[in-house]
Amino acid sequence: MEKLLIMCEGPNEKEIIKILLENDLLKFTEDDLLGLTPYHARQIKSSGQVKTELNIYPGQVRILRIGDKQSDKLVIPSEYKDKILSVDKYCTKPELEMLFILAENLEQDFEKLKSSMKAKTFAKEYIYLGKRNYDNSTAFYTEYFGANPKLLVDCIKKYHKHNGSHNKDEHYLDELLK
Amino acid sequence: MKLLHVIANGFKNCNDSFEIDFVSKSKKTAEDKEYELQEIADDLHVYNTMAFIGKNASGKTTAVELLDACYSILSDFRLDGKPYSYENVELCIDFYHDGFIYRYETILKNADSIASKAIFMKQRLRKKKYYKSKTKDLYHDEDFVDVEITGELPEDTSILFFVLKKKETRAVYFDSFGNGADTYRLIFATLKDYHIRPVLLVKVISIFDENIHDLQMLDDHNFKLSFCNETKTVSDKELIYMLSSGTTKGMLLYILMAASLQQGFDLIIDEIENHFHKTLVENMISLYKDKTVNRNNATLIFTTHYCELLDLFNRQDNIYIAKSNDKVYLTNMYDGFNIRSELLKSRQFYNNVFQTAVNYDELMQLKKELKVWKNS
Repeated sequence: MEKLLIMCEGPNEKEIIKILLENDLLKFTEDDLLGLTPYHARQIKSSGQVKTELNIYPGQVRILRIGDKQSDKLVIPSEYKDKILSVDKYCTKPELEMLFILAENLEQDFEKLKSSMKAKTFAKEYIYLGKRNYDNSTAFYTEYFGANPKLLVDCIKKYHKHNGSHNKDEHYLDELLK
Repeated sequence: MKLLHVIANGFKNCNDSFEIDFVSKSKKTAEDKEYELQEIADDLHVYNTMAFIGKNASGKTTAVELLDACYSILSDFRLDGKPYSYENVELCIDFYHDGFIYRYETILKNADSIASKAIFMKQRLRKKKYYKSKTKDLYHDEDFVDVEITGELPEDTSILFFVLKKKETRAVYFDSFGNGADTYRLIFATLKDYHIRPVLLVKVISIFDENIHDLQMLDDHNFKLSFCNETKTVSDKELIYMLSSGTTKGMLLYILMAASLQQGFDLIIDEIENHFHKTLVENMISLYKDKTVNRNNATLIFTTHYCELLDLFNRQDNIYIAKSNDKVYLTNMYDGFNIRSELLKSRQFYNNVFQTAVNYDELMQLKKELKVWKNS
């Protein structure tokens, strides 16, 4: 049976997937995942943990890459070529912080500034949790969405409506939702 | 408590200033922080896994025996029953405990002529508050101040007792010899001591032998075995003939690993590849790197001849290369060699970058000798 190998670009993407998994909001469960967990790994060759899990599993895997633009191509080392059935990327462009911007209904404010300001910078300035500003930390994602996974699902769906212009090979995160 | 750094003089046949360091030295990427390192205090990172590699008789076992000795002192405040002399061994042990870095120094003596236990001479215990801003000077000697010791202890008990207070397992050492028929008793003792649920044993057993459905202890030497849909009572000596030696050793090692991960103590394994299949070794390494499993900062320390295992390490500073001429010495792969990180470590071993290759001429000399036999 094939497994899913989830490779997240950063720890924050991994946290998003973790919250969705824990709340059973995805089309798959932890049991479907290689090593029963998503990974923070950009490339296979530079991730000892992903290589180890690929070595341990005798079957084949489908890779789901989670990140913002993911313009770098995933290089499959030759020893794993036969193991990997497919690679698909799931994007949240221009940056993952779009989820906060959509959650706070600030997308139109961001549209006005996006030529001069990155989504991350905008979020640092305008996104709060209580009195705390967004600080790019994983803990902020945990606190913001962890207690309210429904909001996360709504934002992921809203993102698709808001940004319908992905390239052909770029999937939307909402395709992974139940 | 977490061991950070050890320097030994006069330990077995090691060179002086024999040094092992658990604190990360090279750059820490976000991925390293997730999988390779554990943060025991603000910005103080130690390794999830550490490896000693080298050819036969290079001193790998000696290195882990030194760690085992240090952990014995840190766990039980005593050192006894080891298969080597303690006479004039000088130890300097740095460890982190409750916001402080401690430096413990002592000179060991044999308590009697059969060296059954060590006595602690010239003990000195100092400490300094840990500050994130001073991680570069972690071991800087002048910052330490003496810890006031008010009580007295027997000479075979270390003054570390006054700081750590409670005997506690800080590490378990699994040597390459195995425990024979006693292994089964040890398995159940480990389950009991560390409050591990019996269901874990069933899961471990099925990894090693799918025909065994259950094993229960009746007394120290007798067990109830469910094997191929049949349940019977067997002694430990019968059991060791029924199960393979790999299964027997592997069961204990996996149960110890579970205890280590659950309790957060370190696990030291000599010749990890000797005990079982490569996949199981890789699985162990992967479990120590997964923070959803290794929640209490346990570290896996092992020796190996099998350099391909090191390709699964993202870093170089947690790999020591053991070599010996007249003395055993260690070189840290990061400190001692200038290896580009993208190169496969195993390939570097085969290219003899670390001068660890088996002597080719010696191999050919043997082959020549064998050819002569055939002709004569």
